[in-house]
Amino acid sequence: MAALELHSIAKAYGRVSVLHDISLAVADGEFVVLVGPSGCGKSTLLRVIAGLESASDGQIRLDGQDVTRLAAAERGLAMVFQSYALYPHMSVRQNIAFALENMRLPKAEIARRVQSASEMLRLEPYLERRPGALSGGQRQRVAIGRAIVRDPKIFLFDEPLSNLDAELRVATRKELAALHARIGGTMIYVTHDQVEAMTLANRIVVLRAGRIEQIGTPLELYNQPCNEFVAGFIGSPRMNFIPVTAAEAGQVQVGAARFALAAAGALAAGDKATLGIRPEHIDLAPQGGDLEVEVNLIEQLGGETFVYGVLGDGSEVTMRSEGQSAIKRGDKVGISLQRQHVHLFGADGLALR
Amino acid sequence: MTTAPASNLLARLGRFIAELPGAPMALVERVIGTSRMAYVFILPNILFFGLFVFLPIGIDIYYSFTGGTALFPSQRPGVGGLQYHYLADCKNFYDPSSCREDYFWRGMWTSLKFTLIQVSVMVLVSLATALVLNMKIRARGFFRAVYFFPVLLSPVVVALVWKWILQPQGLLNAAIVGMGGQPILFLADAGWAMFWAIFVSVWAHTGFYTLILLAGLQAIPRDIYEAADMDGTRPLRQLVRLTLPLLWPNLLVVLVLVTIRGVQTFDEVFALTGGGPGTATMMIVQYIYTTAFASQVPDYGLAAAASVVLGLLLLVLTLTQLWLTRRRGAT
Repeated sequence: MAALELHSIAKAYGRVSVLHDISLAVADGEFVVLVGPSGCGKSTLLRVIAGLESASDGQIRLDGQDVTRLAAAERGLAMVFQSYALYPHMSVRQNIAFALENMRLPKAEIARRVQSASEMLRLEPYLERRPGALSGGQRQRVAIGRAIVRDPKIFLFDEPLSNLDAELRVATRKELAALHARIGGTMIYVTHDQVEAMTLANRIVVLRAGRIEQIGTPLELYNQPCNEFVAGFIGSPRMNFIPVTAAEAGQVQVGAARFALAAAGALAAGDKATLGIRPEHIDLAPQGGDLEVEVNLIEQLGGETFVYGVLGDGSEVTMRSEGQSAIKRGDKVGISLQRQHVHLFGADGLALR
Repeated sequence: MTTAPASNLLARLGRFIAELPGAPMALVERVIGTSRMAYVFILPNILFFGLFVFLPIGIDIYYSFTGGTALFPSQRPGVGGLQYHYLADCKNFYDPSSCREDYFWRGMWTSLKFTLIQVSVMVLVSLATALVLNMKIRARGFFRAVYFFPVLLSPVVVALVWKWILQPQGLLNAAIVGMGGQPILFLADAGWAMFWAIFVSVWAHTGFYTLILLAGLQAIPRDIYEAADMDGTRPLRQLVRLTLPLLWPNLLVVLVLVTIRGVQTFDEVFALTGGGPGTATMMIVQYIYTTAFASQVPDYGLAAAASVVLGLLLLVLTLTQLWLTRRRGAT
């Protein structure tokens, strides 16, 4: 296993720049998730790390050694592809053994490693089958097996769960977490699914338009997003954003309502800002509260209820409450915001603290 | 909107024409039942095939059991299997001069030799060309077109172009003489004539097979090669363990098509060498053509029998192809 450092990595295709000045250090044994919307460059970054694409600028170091100009095969990394990229004409056993044969390992050693990986991934009954005769989840495990047997310095995963159905995705996610706990390898994982990111990662790297927006543990990103983009991207349902105007003495004005916020102290009276509050941090307040919401949709999930509504100024608000609710569509209800969980973002989108 | 009545009229005319077969077809359907209507729809094609494919095959088989020089079937006396007996009348099948119909056996052996060499060369050249044209090279589209152009030429044109190049005062000899060498009689030497017959045939058709293989190469997902790169697969091993097995269905199609067309080769080589020198490049189809149409005494019966033998040979090759592709599909 190895540590990885990226120093000012840039990637451009002709005149189109897709990665700008990416610097990141991944510790030995760490599980880092690269997350961001489509087209943010996360897969390109993974391919640059893998050596399938060359970096236009910057340096990649593995355990301190510069590998920027090394070919993919010479970096000693393993990758699990979104499409699995199994060799369709080979059996599961041949697929897993292929890289080991490339390394010209003794036959007994190859057999031992294939055996151990297939036990770990419960693939023994399928070893003689071809990929075409396997389900999506089994193919996924073969792809992981192919990576594990090589004992790579780092595992790279490119949206490995996106071709699985919802139930299998959850099951495989748990298996991946267990796998990381067991083999303790350095893993870099690309996804656009923030739930995968939150559940798997030691640290998350949020990317947007080829730039790193924020790096942190899942809860750091959830509790202290550095800007509006990260705040909106992490958490489901997403954070509510309500336009506010700074009033005097640390107060903000939303429509006709006015209330005090610690972070508002950084604003001058009349400044525009955006208030961010997660659905789970809004309480229903039968008597008054901070704001009034007109309810336009209710989703009863049994254990929890999502209430969607509109504020007086037209902003949409989502609220999550425990248990079941008697609120109906068209009701006007008061809400209060849990002050310690309110975020405030300046006009430039950056968090005010 | 002055054209509205005219377009309205056209629309009505179109509808009238479209609905014209409606009533008779409905009548036919009532008489024979819906489930048999499919036969009505394939009838025109069956008639067409019958007239231009099955009928000639039948006539050919009939002719092969008749003798004499008359053209009309009614005037031809039946001779039983005599023509086949003539064809097979050999002391030693490996030595055409010991056979009664020595030209038939020379043609057979020449076709066999031509086909074996041409198939190997064609498959290798097409594969190599397809592999190169599948790489990220400059002006790839241009080269893909260049390799395909000869396919568009008529075989006789191909032969004539190469004849001008290869004749004693041709381009190639001019170049040889220009470099201080002696002119070579390319088409008058048995070895050279066979070499050029194969060369020209490969030159003219390789583009078509390259296209089939290129399509196969492009159907192989790119991420399989990326996975192989990550797995540290060397280029030769990538070719042998990944590309060739994944390309096998296309290779098989090419192999069978080249073989069948190799056995059928006639026009190109005939226009280039006339089958000569001597019978050095005389293929089986040329024997059939000469026996039936170009000899002083046309022997339709013998030519028909030789055609039937050739037809059976091609049938075996085609069935082999079907068997191989289906067997592959089943696994």
